[in-house]
This record gives sequence, structure tokens and C-alpha cells, in this order.
Amino acid sequence: MKPYRISKKEKLSLLSNRPRIEEVYNGLECQHRIASNTHKDVETAIAIGRKFNNEVIRPIALEIDRKCMEDHNYLPHEFVRKAADWGLFSLFLPKMFGGGGLNFYAIYPFMEEISSSCAGLGHIVNVHYCGVATLFPSMNMNVITTVFRDVVKSERQGKPRLCTIVVTEPESGTDSQEPLLNQYSKATSNVKRVKGGYIVNGKKIFISSGHLSYWHIANFFEDKSDKLGSWIQFAVPNGTKGFSFGTHENKMGQLACCASELLFDDCFIPNKLISARALDPEFKDSEKGPRWVCHTIVDHVTGSSRTGTAAISTGIARNAYETALEYARKKRVAGELLINHQWAQIILSDMYRNVNMSRTVYMESAATLALRGLFKLLFIKPIHHFIKIMPRWYFTLLTPIMKSRLATWAMRQFYFHRYPTEERNAASGWGSACKYTCSDLGVINSNLAIDLMGGDGIRHDHMAEKCFRDIKLQQIYESTNQVNQMNMFYCLIGSGIPEVEYFK
Amino acid sequence: MNAINTDALSAERQAFAELAKDFSAKKLFENREEHDRYPFAELITDAIRDAGVVGFYGVNLPADFGGVGMNAGMVAVILEKISEIDASLAGILFSNAAALEILKAAAESAGETGIYTAIKTLGTAPIAFPMYDSPDEINPVMLSKDGGTIFFGKICNFACGNIADYAVVPVRKKEGHPYSYYLVDLNDKGVTKSAPLVTLGLHGCPMVDISIEKTPALLIGKEGEGALYFRAMQDRMSLCVAAMLLGIMKGSLKDAFQYTNDRYQGGRQIIDWPLVRMMLANMALDAKAAEAILSMACQELDAGVHGWEQTAQAAAIHAAELAVRATADGVQLFGGNGYTKDYPQEKRLRDARQAANLLGMIPLRKVNYIARIIEEMA
Repeated sequence: MKPYRISKKEKLSLLSNRPRIEEVYNGLECQHRIASNTHKDVETAIAIGRKFNNEVIRPIALEIDRKCMEDHNYLPHEFVRKAADWGLFSLFLPKMFGGGGLNFYAIYPFMEEISSSCAGLGHIVNVHYCGVATLFPSMNMNVITTVFRDVVKSERQGKPRLCTIVVTEPESGTDSQEPLLNQYSKATSNVKRVKGGYIVNGKKIFISSGHLSYWHIANFFEDKSDKLGSWIQFAVPNGTKGFSFGTHENKMGQLACCASELLFDDCFIPNKLISARALDPEFKDSEKGPRWVCHTIVDHVTGSSRTGTAAISTGIARNAYETALEYARKKRVAGELLINHQWAQIILSDMYRNVNMSRTVYMESAATLALRGLFKLLFIKPIHHFIKIMPRWYFTLLTPIMKSRLATWAMRQFYFHRYPTEERNAASGWGSACKYTCSDLGVINSNLAIDLMGGDGIRHDHMAEKCFRDIKLQQIYESTNQVNQMNMFYCLIGSGIPEVEYFK
Repeated sequence: MNAINTDALSAERQAFAELAKDFSAKKLFENREEHDRYPFAELITDAIRDAGVVGFYGVNLPADFGGVGMNAGMVAVILEKISEIDASLAGILFSNAAALEILKAAAESAGETGIYTAIKTLGTAPIAFPMYDSPDEINPVMLSKDGGTIFFGKICNFACGNIADYAVVPVRKKEGHPYSYYLVDLNDKGVTKSAPLVTLGLHGCPMVDISIEKTPALLIGKEGEGALYFRAMQDRMSLCVAAMLLGIMKGSLKDAFQYTNDRYQGGRQIIDWPLVRMMLANMALDAKAAEAILSMACQELDAGVHGWEQTAQAAAIHAAELAVRATADGVQLFGGNGYTKDYPQEKRLRDARQAANLLGMIPLRKVNYIARIIEEMA
């Protein structure tokens, strides 16, 4: 047998070595494992994002940013209403909840698009889907259907109700989002079980878009001695007695999207709004145990939201690149157009490279999520086609079934009880990999834009300085890049090495 | 540690270094975050005025004209100390010192010092200077045929343009002609100033666009020698760029030590996480490297070592890269808190990035740096 001829058995054996196909070639795998019309949604999403940029975001981006500097209390409610008019808050909600039904593979290029004109305004839309992606992994179909259908309905009525993710506390930042560090968290909020629900006391901080949102997907621990094993999640709507907004942070960038304080003062949350509870027998007595399940839920959230963070970073990197390119076409330096200096061309090449490398990484992560992460059910071909074909009214009729315990049971079987750790690691690991890669590349591009634009680069009215302020947040939130490095090590490197220990 | 080892400083220099340290602690530390809100809040007018009272605007002004008569190395020591607390005032001192260096280079070249006497506020108030752009990046304003009046023109990104009485401006007779420097009275009716610009950093060092039309102007030095004066100024003021960046880095590192000691995450002080220590190590190494090269450049300047200019420019360009990286890590170590204005780290990152742009765009400075070496080799 010639050396390049290889038996099926040998091929399988070789491919089972690391790096495995299912770990690092998900973009390739998507070519045959997901529906061939998936790309149409991606193209539609990009086109909508570009139109929204041209008509809504770009004309007001700098003005709103400046307004936020001038008046800390300013909140862009008008923009939220405008985005709702365009249907952006339901565009990516599945049709079964009455949403626009664009697939989740398309959401990331969309996020890149709207972040490429203003990361702050774009983030108001993006973080809403981060809230969606926080609730969805609970797989509590009753709460999910209630919240998502309310989002769709309120948007149609012109009174948008956005979702947001609620985790961080003053003394519990990084460790509140990292399952391996959860046990050390100094979270001070308290939840106490009472008849018919829970009483919650405490303060949550850095809640993106908090003041602009309605549904707050809030996460707490019931038992301080076993935090991960006692994790609990509520969907808290505005107007809940004992729930209020505090101040919002005075921050460096992404000014249009506030980072809010949420206050819980003897706040009663009824049982019907508990979306997941680790101490429920379903999880507590499960074969994998409550910690594994909660770790998986956290990874479902972060795997998808960090990919979004990476897409936003790519958008900012692109904004920096496009701003610098336009500037170089008009600016004369030493008697020559800047774009005709070879050193400037090299800088622009680097910036272009960074944007496209960045996009490649987050799209690989999106492919991993589609095949092995949070969205895998929706990308199974028969399910995908079924949802595409059936009209919305059909799913409206099915709402009672969607809200049933049977639906929750089935979803949790699929996403938890029969969900393999290897898939979780691939999705979570790539989420981290793209999050810190894209934010670092975005920082590089923002620096290069200012390098190339010199004194004009530091002026607010030339955009590059805004990119510089905006991108820095991307290295911090959704866990710092350093924690993401550790998570990537845990998921994609250390998982195959039995002697390895973490967070020593 | 100073940019220059204090042991090596004369008593007078040490006194100035101590003065700068005390001044920044007393005048700049308090309300630093509020002052950073300019132009949406009050400017640090008291500190700007008091800096003149203590003589900071006359450090590199010849003693014959009421100055201290020291070189840019001494200005660098002061700027480093001030930048450790708040680099905005250092920006104002920088603008003034750069303008004085142009005057000094012109006086040395032309043997004519009359221009000093035309500045009524010399040594007591800042002089405005377009310190973020090299003349290659701006279109110098045009001179009328009689040579004593600026005909028309606009210069953008003018530091201190709205708080100074005088400005040093690059001016051209005709398109394609070499430029000269002129002194302009900013209170003249032909001068129009924009509203204060919103900038990335150094908010307390205001920046405006200036339009000049039919305004009297005094030639500084010789006609057409602007490029020579700019180069001389750029060499000396490169020390000050590096010093500002070093000061900002040191401030960031100092606060990072404090915060990582105070903050607990994952069950321990975060300074006890190896990853955090690695970041602190990188910051400390960056600051030390910047300090070493700046110190070397200052010593070479004092000793008149041939080629000190290259060391000075290398210090500024290299410190820019180090400071932006180190202050970004300074924010990172504070996590979400670092991104808020309740802590000084985000301001330091913005200030470092803005200070990195002093004296012109970095790639162009690199291109000119190597062109000069090639020129000398030839």
C-alpha cells in the first residue's frame, strides 16, 4: 500500500489524536452538518446591520457619546425605541417564541456590524441578546416562553422590554463568573426561600444596560458554603416590589450603554420566575450532580456571550481601521497623501489583517456553538427546516406545550443530562479563545489608528480616540482576558492532561 | 527613583524635584477625577496659575530673561513628578517648555534675543504650542507679502490655545517654501479660537483649533529655519515626553500594587495570584526600562555626549510603547473598577496614549529617526 493510501480505521485513529476535528475544525464541519441555507440569514443580518448603521447609528454616534460625557444621567431611550422600531430586539429570537427567527449563527456578524459604527449604542442591542443567552441555558421553557414572548409583544407595541444579565457584585467580580472559583466568591447578596418564592437582598453592579432593560436575568447563590451547587437564577421584571436601580458607573468608554447598579431590598420573587435552581431534585439528584449542571449552564452562557464580545471587538477593530483608512485618503503628510506613504500602507495592512483574523476566530467559535454549544439543537437539520417552514401562528398555538414541564424536561435532557463534557469544553474554550484574541487585536488596531492619525487621532470628533476608549472594556468584561486564558487552558489544553491542576 | 538618579542632581535640581512632588500632591491630587471632566467642568486654573508662581514656566528660560536657566533635562524631572499624580498640568508645562526651546534654538542660531522681550508674561504663564503635530503634519499658516502679518490660516490641535496669551506658530511664505516660526499674540482681534476640544486624555491641558487672519506676527530667529528649530526642540523635548510617560507609568504601578493588595478574589489577595504577579512584573519591567533609557539620555545631554539626541528620541518613542502597554495593564489589574472614573487608572491609560502622540505621529518620528542616522552615516 502506498503511504498516502490510508485505511478507514487508520484514518479514524489518526483523527482521534489532538487536535481533534470536533475541537478545532467546526467551521469545516458546519459545511455538511448544518443546513445549506444558513448563510442566507447571515447575509440578511449583515445587510440589516449595515442599513441600521447608515440610517441610525452613524449619524448620532459621536453626538450621543459626547452627550453622555456632558451629562452622566443621560440615557439614550430614543435610540432604544428606534432599535425597537427596526425590530432588532426580537430579530434573533426563534420563531417559536414569535421572534424574527434569524439564526444564531447570524447574530455574531450582526453584532460586528452594529459595533463597527458605535460600540456603545450597538452594545444596547447586543447585551439584550446576552440577557437572552443567560436565560436560554436554564432551559426552563415556561419562563423562557413568558419572557421572550413578552419581549416580542412589547417591541411591537413600541414599548421595548430588553433583557440583561445580572451577575457581578461589589466584592465578587471575576470569581462570580468562573465555576472553578465560585466557591471562593465573597458575594454578599442573600436569597431566602419563603412561601411562594424567594426574598432577595443585595446589590448587583456593572449590569450592562441595566437602566434601559426590563427583564433582569439575575443569578445568586442560596448556600454560601456551596455556591456553585446552590446557584439560582431569576427573571426579575421592572416594577417588582423591593427592586430598584441605583446609580450607573462613570466609565471610560462605551458610554451610551450604561453599567448599572441593581438594588434588591426584601425583593420578593415568585416561584414562577425562577428559571433554574441547582438545589431542585432534578439537578441535585442527577447523575452528574448540581455542580456539573451549573458549570454547564455558566459555560453555555459564557461560551455564547464571549463569542458576542469577540464580535463586538471585531466591530471596534474595524471601526478603527475604516476610520484610519478614510483619514489616510485625505490627510497630507510631508507633502504626500498619507495613504501613499509606504509605512502607512503597512500599518493599514496590519489593521486589515487584524480585523479579518479576528472575524475568523469568532466565526469558528460560532460554528462550535452551532454544533456543540448552546445553539446545537436549533442547527440539527430537521429541526432547523421545521422551524423555518412552519408559520409563526403555528408556534403560537403550541405555546401551552412550549411552557409545559415536558418541554423543559426534554430540553434539559438534551442540554444537560445527555450533554457530553467534551462538547461543553469545546464551546466554552473557543468562547474564551475568541474573546481574548479579538479584544487584544482590537486594542492593537485602536492604537494603530491613533498612531496613524497623530494629533487628530486624539480628538473626539475624529472617532479613533472613541475606539480606543471603547475597546478597553472588551478586555475586561465577560471575565477578564486573564480568566479567559485560564478557562481556555482548562477546556482545550488541560482537559486531556490528568495531572494538571488549576488556579494554584 | 527619579528619571535621573537624585544623587546625581545638584541641590537646586533636587529642590525643584521635591517642589514638583509637593506641588502635585497639594494642588493636583485632590479632585483629580473631577478636574479630568474638562471641558465639561472647571479647568484647573488655580494650579495653572500657581505653577507660574513657583517658577515652573521658567525652568528652561535663560536666566537673563528671568528664568531658571536650566535645560530640558530639568523640565523632564519636574514633568515626571507631576505626571505621577496628574499628567494634565505636565501637558501645559510641556507646551510652554517646547515653545521656549524653539525660542532658544532661534536665539542660538540668529544671535538675537529680542523676541523674549516681546512676551509680557514670559516665565509666569504658559505659551501655546501645537505640540501634538510636527510641521510635516500641519499646513503652516501663510504670511502676507510685507512679512509682518499672518495673512490667513488655521492650525488644529493647539495645546493651551485658549489659556495662553502668546503662541509659537509655524508659518510659510508660499506653498512649498520652508517654514519659519512666528510669535503671535493670541488676544489679537484676528485670532479666532474654537470651543475647547474634547480629547482622549490630558483633559486639564486644553486644546483648541485656532484660525488666524491678518494678525501681526513676529519672526522667531531666521526666515526659513523653522525645521532646524523644530528638530532642536524635538531632541530636547523628547526627554520630557519620556519623562511624562514614565511618571504616568509609575503612578499606575504604584496604585496597582495598592489595589492588588487590597482586593480579594478567588479566596486570596489578588496580588497572590501568579498571573497578577506576572502582570505587575511586566509593568515594573516596562517602567524600569523607560527609566533606564531616559536616565541615560539625560546624562548624555548633561555631559554633551555626541549622539545624545538619538538616545533622547529613542527614549520618547520607546517609552510611548511601554507606557501605553503598562497603563493598559494597570487598568486590567483593577478589573471593572479600573474602567471607571472612580479610580485613576483609566485616566492614566488615556493620558499615556495622548502623551505618546507628543511631538508628532509616532511612525513619522521613526521614519525621521532612521533618516537622520542614515544622513549622519553618509
